[in-house]
Amino acid sequence: MTTLDIVMVIVRVSISAFVPLCFLAVCVTMERRVAGFVQDRSGPNRAGIYGFRAGGLVQNLADGIKLAFKEDIISEHVEHKFLYVLAPIISMAAAIISFALIPFADTLVLDGKAYVMQGIPWDTGILWFLAVTGFSVYGIILAGWSSTNKYSLLGALRSASQVISYEIPMGLAVISLLIVYGSINLSDIARFQGQNWLGFIPMWGIFLQPLAAVIFIVAAFAECNRTPFDLAEGESELVAGFHLEYSAMKFAVFFMGEYVAMFASSAVIVTLFFGGYNIPFFSTDFLIRNIKPVAFVMLVILPVFMFYFAKWIRRNNRSQYPRENDPREAEATVYIRCFWILIGVIEVFLLAILAFAQPDTAAAHLLVALMQICTFLLKVTLMLFVYVWVRWTIPRFRYDQLQILGWQKLLPLALLNIFVTGAIVVALG
Amino acid sequence: MAAKVKQLPSRGGTPAEKVYLIEIFKGMGITLRHFLRNLWDNSNLYVRHYPEVQPNIPAHWRGRHRLLTHSDGTPKCVACFMCQTNCPANCIMIKAGERTDGITEKMPVSFTIDLAECIYCGYCVEACPEDAIRMDTGIYAFTSSNREEMKIEMDEMLSLKGGYTEEEYQKGLEDE
Amino acid sequence: MTEMIKLFVNGEEVEVESGKNLIDALEKVGIEIPHFCYHPALGADGNCRMCLVGIEEGRPPVVPACKTPAKEGMKVLLDADHIKKIQHDVMELEFINHPTDCPICDQAGECKLQDYYMKYEGTESRMRVPQVKKRKVQDFGGGVIHDQERCVACGRCVRFLRQITKTGELGLVNRGDDCRVEFFPGRPINNRYGLNVVDLCPVGALTSADFRFKQRAWFLKRAESICHGCSKGCNIMVDHNKEKYEDDIIYRIRPRHNEQVNGWFMCDAGRMTYKSENDNRLEECTLAGTVRPLTDILADAQSRIEKASKALFLVSPSASLEQLVAVQALAEKTGAAVSAFSDGYIVKDDGDDFLIKDDKAANRTGVDLLSIAKSRTHFDNMAKEADVFINFDNDLSRSLSEEQIGKLFKDTWVLNAATHPGHLGTAMAGKAGASVALRSWSEYHGVVVNCDGIAQKFVGGVMKNIERPDIVEIAAGLGSPATGAAAAWALVQKKIPALAEFGSFLELPAEGVNLTDNEAGK
Ligand code: SF4
Ligand code: SF4
Ligand code: SF4
Ligand code: SF4
Ligand code: FES
Repeated sequence: MTTLDIVMVIVRVSISAFVPLCFLAVCVTMERRVAGFVQDRSGPNRAGIYGFRAGGLVQNLADGIKLAFKEDIISEHVEHKFLYVLAPIISMAAAIISFALIPFADTLVLDGKAYVMQGIPWDTGILWFLAVTGFSVYGIILAGWSSTNKYSLLGALRSASQVISYEIPMGLAVISLLIVYGSINLSDIARFQGQNWLGFIPMWGIFLQPLAAVIFIVAAFAECNRTPFDLAEGESELVAGFHLEYSAMKFAVFFMGEYVAMFASSAVIVTLFFGGYNIPFFSTDFLIRNIKPVAFVMLVILPVFMFYFAKWIRRNNRSQYPRENDPREAEATVYIRCFWILIGVIEVFLLAILAFAQPDTAAAHLLVALMQICTFLLKVTLMLFVYVWVRWTIPRFRYDQLQILGWQKLLPLALLNIFVTGAIVVALG
Repeated sequence: MAAKVKQLPSRGGTPAEKVYLIEIFKGMGITLRHFLRNLWDNSNLYVRHYPEVQPNIPAHWRGRHRLLTHSDGTPKCVACFMCQTNCPANCIMIKAGERTDGITEKMPVSFTIDLAECIYCGYCVEACPEDAIRMDTGIYAFTSSNREEMKIEMDEMLSLKGGYTEEEYQKGLEDE
Repeated sequence: MTEMIKLFVNGEEVEVESGKNLIDALEKVGIEIPHFCYHPALGADGNCRMCLVGIEEGRPPVVPACKTPAKEGMKVLLDADHIKKIQHDVMELEFINHPTDCPICDQAGECKLQDYYMKYEGTESRMRVPQVKKRKVQDFGGGVIHDQERCVACGRCVRFLRQITKTGELGLVNRGDDCRVEFFPGRPINNRYGLNVVDLCPVGALTSADFRFKQRAWFLKRAESICHGCSKGCNIMVDHNKEKYEDDIIYRIRPRHNEQVNGWFMCDAGRMTYKSENDNRLEECTLAGTVRPLTDILADAQSRIEKASKALFLVSPSASLEQLVAVQALAEKTGAAVSAFSDGYIVKDDGDDFLIKDDKAANRTGVDLLSIAKSRTHFDNMAKEADVFINFDNDLSRSLSEEQIGKLFKDTWVLNAATHPGHLGTAMAGKAGASVALRSWSEYHGVVVNCDGIAQKFVGGVMKNIERPDIVEIAAGLGSPATGAAAAWALVQKKIPALAEFGSFLELPAEGVNLTDNEAGK
């Protein structure tokens, strides 16, 4: 094993382990601000450090500190303390490792060696995801049961039966996908979607398998216990459901686990249906071969983009009431400067590539990999936005409606989809 | 006052509506419109930038309680316990005693309202036969880090002044 | 059995007891005729005219119900328009000069005028001339405060003081607008039953200075009890309430009707016994001077009783039958002696021929029925022998002086279970014994037998913040076979066969069981 090998292992594992955690901040902020904007209010924008609010990010910091320093209570009546403590750990751990097999860039070739860009380079792919998310429900069931609280127990029961009902349509939707892709390896699946149809339509899962996409996305919402399927929490009837008895960091871990799971399932949805890390219309090979024009285009686009972004910051980062020497305007200026500096640094790098890099060298490969990671994260962020968007649009299902949707609608549709797909694939040979 | 009943047509029966997804996308379209509008320019939010921008409290707003006094400064309250009897939160605590100033025979010796328990329903104001208690101070924000401080006593309530003129207050009652 | 007769009310046939006036007869079957001046104990006066009812085909067609005996076949009209108009007009008349200051009136909530206004009038005043002003707060003496403006001149108070106490302090003076109740100058109410006029007054014209402004009537919880002030055992209503953040305390005691015992009344001293229920109560259980949990004390006492050559239990003559048998059974089991020595409870020449008795013990007849010794000689002899002495709430300081108590129990280990401090005087101060704070009679249920041999149940509704045990629990804790109230009641039934037919003490009839009527005395 060379040093490069070891570095690459560290890089890949840390990306796959820490990116979901870092995205927590994005998720929570987005959740709150989107909720605010959807409801014509502003969301958290008060907490700040020396007046710097970072668009609400500082609020997360405050909440995090609050949760970390809260009194951690385990009620007297909790009999199985070990399981009680174990439950949030299971939730969180399952959420993190379910992301481990998802590729966030195309296979990177350095020094003639290929590195699969995913946390654990296994071939189990989508099956791993199905298995691990199925496992995460144990966290909820254990939490509900060991809390010795009827509300928690009811929440856990709901969650258990919900996972059973929705895992089946989800699995079936995956089957029809596999018929099309011919592989369970997510890297293969992503690469497959890098091709273009008739030269201009990307061969994304959503176009090949629209029905499977709908079923899978709906089921993924249910797996994550997100609205409209968050009956396990159901605060209006179950107070808070399974995590009712949890406080402080144990609660926080549940809370973070939910968002990490959301991130992981967004990543899977992106990989299965939205081309994964692929930049639409541009295959990895094409980018590597034409590294100089690509760098040049980016060199031009970035400042233009930044110019408008700065204007947006100026417009929105100011006090909405008459105020002398508005400190928020100064705040905006600081942000804009920081961003310009960042852009400047990137420009320097691009210039360097433009000047020295040759196609098909390590630098070109790295740049493309970076671009793909960014694309991937952008797509995942958009998917996360959909999660949030749905949550603040659709009210919660009633329990019987949830089961009817799962068993009487999604299941037959998924089966039908398999037959139709199978027939077409056979017919086309 | 008769209840206002507005009958809305029942929704959700047509085949298109039964497919859910179409309606869901419609709904998501609405929320997305709001989101994008506010993201583009957040100056149109329906929020008041409290505490920098203070609300304008109408006269019939039920704020913090005060006890009214006669023109000579003695309390109007006669300790009839009507407010305590009617208080759904059970947060008024009165002790009655003999009154010697010749106005009536009875007056409160102590009169405590636990504002931490009060639900600001205004029943006490309505129940009072003497117009001795009102919630027209216009004070709506008071906090404390300790429960005891949320109990306000007779002297404090007697010293509070109304936030409105008598005409505004009476008009506020009519508006209600 | 009284004879039953049939008559018609509003055309419907009802069966009522004969020999009564219409108000009483119909009240028994649940038909109310409004009235102010009539009171069953005082008879009809016929001055208020509120009780006017129509008699179909009668001569005269409209009669005062209070003065009209119920007769077979009578056709009484209550809801005819002209009767309703009479009731309405009488009420309007009453209100002409009435101040209607219900907010500050203690009667509000149990006021006839309020009730009848809601039921029979309900219109606004038509009077446009100023009301006649009279005196407001007038001290009638004896703890009675009078408000002339509220008086409806029914004369109940006057008649009570003339007919029942025969002291006649009050009289109605003047007529019309100016009619009012007054005492004869220099002779305010001064008798031992004076506060009964407060209950008699149908409105808030007479109020008790003691209860004045303490509580509104509707906040009070009621418990049907028996007065423990003397051996008469007057039936009472204990009005108590637990205010937020405070203790459950009694605000007043009112008489409860029982024809066999006290009729409608009680004495003033009995009314004031609530004060000692509220105040100056023992609160802690101590052992050798330190506060200890009850179980420790009982365990210690139990082992001492077992080791003792002789133990003596002194019970209170006011304790309930259940408590007496529980202690008695404990004594039988441990071979201890029981005494109810309580000579000091008898106050010579204090009683009268109405309600008040010399004997201030509530259950001395019960003590006798259970054959518990109570003589001084027995007590002295036993006290000399005993090396463990347990006092069950007997206020020995009434019977013996401090030196006497101190001498008797010089070398004895003493457990003093009491409701109030001072039962053994200060003689026990500094002595290494134990003391237990007990529940008092307003806090437990039980049965007591009054001086006339009538066994009466009482219910304790007061729930103090500090939980105290009652004597049955203490005795059970010391090993008595009566392990609880139910077991104690079973023992009572064994010893007093006349009570055997009642499954629980709650099944005793409201008017009590007269034990002298049957074999119980044997
Ligand atoms: S506002 Fe309502 S809850 Fe508050 S004190 Fe008055 S009656 Fe009680
Ligand atoms: S209702 Fe009015 S007069 Fe009566 S006690 Fe309350 S504040 Fe005083
Ligand atoms: S006597 Fe009755 S009606 Fe008159 S003020 Fe008192 S409560 Fe009111
Ligand atoms: S004071 Fe009361 S009882 Fe006496 S006459 Fe007047 S109303 Fe009747
Ligand atoms: S009750 Fe009959 S006249 Fe007063």
